[in-house]
Amino acid sequence: MSTDTTTALTPEQDAQLREIIIEVLELEADELTDTSSFIDDHDADSLLAIEILARIEKDLGVTIPQDDLTEMSNLDGVRAVVVRNLGSGEHA
Amino acid sequence: MPESGTRRVVVTGLGAVSSAGIGAAEFTASIREGLRSTSPIASFDTTGFPHVHAGEVHDFDPAEWLRRIEPGRWGRSSQFAASAARLAVADAGLQENDLAGSRAGSVMGTTSGESAVIEQLVAQWASDGLKSLDAGRVAAVPAGRIAAAVNSELGLNGEALTLATACSASNYALGYAYDMVAGGEADYMLAGGADSVNRWAHAGFYRLGALAEEVCRPFDANRSGILTAEGGVALLLEPYDRAVARGARIYAEVLGYSVNCDAEHMVHPDPTSIAACIRAAHRSAGVTPEQIDYICAHGTGTRTNDATEVAAAREVFGDRIPPISSIKSMIGHTMGAASGFGALICCQALYEGFLPPTAGVEDIDPGLGPGVDPVPGTARPARPEVVQNHGFAFGGNNAITVLGRVA
Amino acid sequence: MSTVTAEAPAIHTAAAVSPLAITAVGAVTPAGLGLEALGRAVAAGLPGHAEPPVQEDETLPPRPVRAVPDLKVAELIGRKGTRHLDRTTKLALVACRLALDSLPAPVGGGSTGVVLGTSTGSIRSSSEYSLETLRQERPYLVNPSLFPNTVMNCAAGQIAIRHGLKGVNATLAGGHLAGVQVLRYARNALRQGHADRLLVGGVEEFCAQSAWGWHQSGSLTADAAVGEGAAVLVVEPEKAAHAAGRRVLARVLACETGYAGRGGLAQGLASVIGSALERSGTAPAGITSASLGSTGHVGLDRVEERALRTALGGRLPDQVVRVKESVGECCSAGGVLQIAGLLGLWQREGAGSARTAVVTAVSRDGQVGCVVLDAGSLAG
Repeated sequence: MSTDTTTALTPEQDAQLREIIIEVLELEADELTDTSSFIDDHDADSLLAIEILARIEKDLGVTIPQDDLTEMSNLDGVRAVVVRNLGSGEHA
Repeated sequence: MPESGTRRVVVTGLGAVSSAGIGAAEFTASIREGLRSTSPIASFDTTGFPHVHAGEVHDFDPAEWLRRIEPGRWGRSSQFAASAARLAVADAGLQENDLAGSRAGSVMGTTSGESAVIEQLVAQWASDGLKSLDAGRVAAVPAGRIAAAVNSELGLNGEALTLATACSASNYALGYAYDMVAGGEADYMLAGGADSVNRWAHAGFYRLGALAEEVCRPFDANRSGILTAEGGVALLLEPYDRAVARGARIYAEVLGYSVNCDAEHMVHPDPTSIAACIRAAHRSAGVTPEQIDYICAHGTGTRTNDATEVAAAREVFGDRIPPISSIKSMIGHTMGAASGFGALICCQALYEGFLPPTAGVEDIDPGLGPGVDPVPGTARPARPEVVQNHGFAFGGNNAITVLGRVA
Repeated sequence: MSTVTAEAPAIHTAAAVSPLAITAVGAVTPAGLGLEALGRAVAAGLPGHAEPPVQEDETLPPRPVRAVPDLKVAELIGRKGTRHLDRTTKLALVACRLALDSLPAPVGGGSTGVVLGTSTGSIRSSSEYSLETLRQERPYLVNPSLFPNTVMNCAAGQIAIRHGLKGVNATLAGGHLAGVQVLRYARNALRQGHADRLLVGGVEEFCAQSAWGWHQSGSLTADAAVGEGAAVLVVEPEKAAHAAGRRVLARVLACETGYAGRGGLAQGLASVIGSALERSGTAPAGITSASLGSTGHVGLDRVEERALRTALGGRLPDQVVRVKESVGECCSAGGVLQIAGLLGLWQREGAGSARTAVVTAVSRDGQVGCVVLDAGSLAG
């Protein structure tokens, strides 16, 4: 999954996503892997999950439906959701 | 060991300023019919907001209701509170001198205080900087003015306390007022709450994914969240003996209450902690779960709230959950006033004999489990004897009041 | 329009009140962290730290500032999960930490509650959130994690979460009356069994928004500083404190409030001081100290002094504390800081001097209040 989705993101966008997640979850850079779970591995709660969504919407100019939150449980999930919505969603 | 009050305390006056009408009778009639009174927002520019509905009080002219305080010196929430209190006193058949000559006070709940005033100042800040803040508006900012407005309007010389425990604040207020009257610290207390619709809360709830587009539908499988709302509500409390002596109409008796704190999460309620609060409220009121005939739900319209509230009720009531409905389905979430409106409709339900409905329920969410009766549609004729009123809040602040019919 | 009668009716039916014990104090003030620092500043009449905690691009009104020098957040609250906390919440958390740490042994969170005074919550948090809705490309592009900061009970909720306090959790929008109101609320909550002990406090942050608000309002004298701070008292029934072997720093003998309406403030305050003395069983001549709340408020400071003289038979006590000279105008934190200021001072005086004080509060709208307390093992 990660190969498919990352190809659609520019390296800058991918770096941006990583940075947002690291910042919101207050992580060290090496703690976040493609599949580490926000909730189980990084103590995220739903408020922080929504903050990640909100930051991505704002910084990347993409609109993400709230229903996609469940998919955004790790970095790969976030990439997939962002790619899908960059492709179909309105651009700010 | 709780020290119970020495005097029985009853509610003899009701006042409401709401989207469903001004005055307790109008409000109650609208609720009984299951009418939705939310509407497109007019108090701020909604450009750019995907969702634009709220429970605003469009036709409120403070000068029509206030006799003593000058509306221009006070914020919208204070105007709501003082008007509702004025209405409650009139409803109780009391003259101004009856209160001003007694040990009387007020305790009002709020979530965002004078948020509409703060937003007027933010607009000044945005256009001309902080040095342009208007002195008159600055003076209207403190949330404590909400209870102060009630005391000023009615000439009360007792306590004027504003409780800011967010969305359960009116229940906190009702509990405190009950203690003051029961314990002999006061002879009359006005208890209730007030809040104003504001842009920042609308944005915040939308951002949390908790804001419904147009319809607030608690307990329904297709619910989509809350609608923000505003208003003011006041209940007049006095000792039972005095009410009987003066031949007052007694809506209900305040039997007891409980408050506690989840201490877990700022925005996620905890069913076990709420169940503990319900049990403590029953102990305080001297009732058992079997005696509860109706629950006026916190019922915000979010999936999380429904699941938590029903789970908590199930912990206490087992498979026999009393009918549980949400008036937020009609007037939206009036925040700090919400459990005050809940208490008001509980009083009316006990006095007139009905169960308040949940509007807009089409399919009761099967995920809530069996035996959930949200009284869909319109009010149901009934003779409830004892009811409980829920209020939960940000910060895990739970407050539950128990009211009973006085034969 | 008739004026409200200022005379509070005599209290006949209210029961005698049993004293509350103050068994710990956490003070976070422009004098520094801790009660000792505050006591030192009050004793010497020292002004606190004067550097404002402003953000970039902010300008402040031309008037003095008092601000807490170093909150030591990482050390006293922790590193994780503090990113979204606003200054109001941090001040309150640090004050709670200091109060709890000063107890001889930890207390159970299940039966401990919080009663916190505020005026508007963090006005910086709510107004900046509102401003964001105007400044963002789309009005809802706000940070969801900051939303709880806009609600007035945020600090009390955070205190409960961080210390696992499941008892009653109340936030009182008392403004200048908050000190009296939180103690009244606490007394009732303990009597009703909503908790066995309570963290009772007040908090106010310095920010550009409130500094300009005070400045524009015209209610402070030109030389009055805008300040900030938080003070938290651990309060419990006196018997429980003795049983647990906790030192009683002071006893709250009475806390009375009333509403005087415009024009009757001095008489209303005098009357409520009278009620408080009566309910505490203290004669006016037995008052050795007063801690004043209206320092720096145009007109109100004189109202307060006049009321005090009236209630005490024409005199002021020997010891008069004006804590705002050290901490600045702290609005809803002011009342509990008035008490902390007294306790800091009494702690320095040490054993030997029996002290009984009145702590007064008055708001322009008409709220009046008075606390009566005496020294426990601090000076007794």
